[in-house]
Amino acid sequence: MRPVLLNSCARAATAAEARFRIDAPIVPSRGARVFALDGPAEEIVRRIAARPWATARFFGHAGDGRVRPLVGVSTVDISAELDGADVAVLVATSPDGARAAAAVGEHCRARGTMTAGLVVDGGAGALDAVAMLRPYARVLLLTGDEDDIAAVLTALRA
Amino acid sequence: MLTSELNELLTRTGPDTAMGQLFRRYWLPALLAEELPEPDSPPVRVKLLSERLIAFRDSHGRYGLMDEFCAHRGASLWFGRVAEGGLRCAYHGWKYDVTGQCVEVPSEPDNSSFCSNVKLRSYPLVRVGDILWAYLGEPENQPPLPEFEFVHVPAEQTFTSKRWQESNWLQALEGGIDSSHVSWLHSGQLKTDPLFKGAKGNQYNLSDFKPFFEVAESPGGLFVGARRNAEDGHYYWRITPWVMPSFTVVPPRGDHPVHGHFWVPIDDENCWVYTFDYHPVRALTAQERQAMMDGFGVHSENIPGTYRPVQNKDNDYLMDRATQRSGENFSGVRGIAIQDASLQESMGPIVDRSKERLVPADSGIIKARQKLRRAAVALRDHGTPPPGTEPEHQRVRSAAVVLPRHESFIESCRDAVSVRPGVRQSSV
Ligand code: FES
Ligand SMILES: [Fe+2]
Repeated sequence: MRPVLLNSCARAATAAEARFRIDAPIVPSRGARVFALDGPAEEIVRRIAARPWATARFFGHAGDGRVRPLVGVSTVDISAELDGADVAVLVATSPDGARAAAAVGEHCRARGTMTAGLVVDGGAGALDAVAMLRPYARVLLLTGDEDDIAAVLTALRA
Repeated sequence: MLTSELNELLTRTGPDTAMGQLFRRYWLPALLAEELPEPDSPPVRVKLLSERLIAFRDSHGRYGLMDEFCAHRGASLWFGRVAEGGLRCAYHGWKYDVTGQCVEVPSEPDNSSFCSNVKLRSYPLVRVGDILWAYLGEPENQPPLPEFEFVHVPAEQTFTSKRWQESNWLQALEGGIDSSHVSWLHSGQLKTDPLFKGAKGNQYNLSDFKPFFEVAESPGGLFVGARRNAEDGHYYWRITPWVMPSFTVVPPRGDHPVHGHFWVPIDDENCWVYTFDYHPVRALTAQERQAMMDGFGVHSENIPGTYRPVQNKDNDYLMDRATQRSGENFSGVRGIAIQDASLQESMGPIVDRSKERLVPADSGIIKARQKLRRAAVALRDHGTPPPGTEPEHQRVRSAAVVLPRHESFIESCRDAVSVRPGVRQSSV
């Protein structure tokens, strides 16, 4: 069989043809909500939140399973914060944030919000943190490199 | 997405690039052993990491890999004659040994020492298993020889093929890390392919289309676990190892041989896909070997005498809309290897990752890029040797297991994902 059409692969998949890919601006993600579930995780998330992001919003934990903004003390309504979000990113270094993980995780399940868990391997608690997040996070990344969180958010156009 | 700068960094592997330097720290498949079958076999052109090379085997059976072009006036040594312990250029008869050393310049007087001052750049080429491996880096950094299990089991337990893919190496590798496409693109083959069908695990694959993923680092790369629902209180886990820079193993299915790939840059717009199948404890059956040669499983049917697939981009991969409609082939393209190749080549020679919209399910790919970037930059800026060169980094297996829900694949599968000589693969 010989390609007879201008749009057949042999022509289309060349560097020269790649120039003609439509170059419309790509909309950012509708929003990532990043939840730090424990103290060390919150320090990491603070550093990442300081970079420029399109629509991502970042949260810390109140210690009692509730969630608050990184600045300020008042807790937030998790469900309302998930409005219009594409993904909830749960950041943990230990299983200490189990209650907050459950709270966010249940809201995400109820709303059909995608969940990603990032466990930064600071030591002994990491595998327990993975176990804690497993029921809630559709994707779990155990990493020694906190920069992976920024890499994931960048990849998702957050 | 990836910025254009990072995309450039990760996809370019020529001699003066950061990724090129990274690749030059590893032994890489350069040829199948069958391409230089015996002493004085005809020389073979090899392009690797954007370098044009010639490979040959001298009268003593020694392998040589060196600059393709004659030091005299630059003729290709592919036209040369292999005889009497060397490769002689067809143009004016300069002769080289397997180290690239010129050993004879016929126009010079007898007793002339002119040739001792002429040497072509050459690289070590070593047979391990069915593959001839090359090392293109500096001699002082040469790592131990490859330890991957598929090249160390007895010959009757292993089979390797290769095919030319007309795309950058990274988009090919990414297909090997991303197991989420299997339930879609390759769904037809789970039921029909002789090297796939019949495994109990296939049912889990076909009944749960929304796997959860866990990505964990290994000393040489990553383990990517995909979990699907199994019987009450259990998950079916498929664990894919990636060893840097470009070795992946597909999780097994039943007692079928285990397959995987080595994705090797030819230049920035082409790569070789070395495709292997092996069984850790038994010989491949005659039927299995025949199926592999016929292009089933992850192998390809190539144009005789070449390593270009019969289905290629010049014939639209023999796309058949009728089998697409019937579901026999999800995309209408026949065969797992070419299903992958067709889509990866369709992205263009080097896909523009600044235009991607990745989702969390792509985390394995995101993390792999991150590791490649880190390793390339650490090597470039600090000379840090990259992961994946040590024998223990390479002694990994894929696995397909059913675990109680509360168990972590990382902990429960430590043995399953390690090479254990004489022990069967962990597979359902
Ligand atoms: S070009 Fe090779 S011998 Fe002259
Ligand atoms: Fe595939």
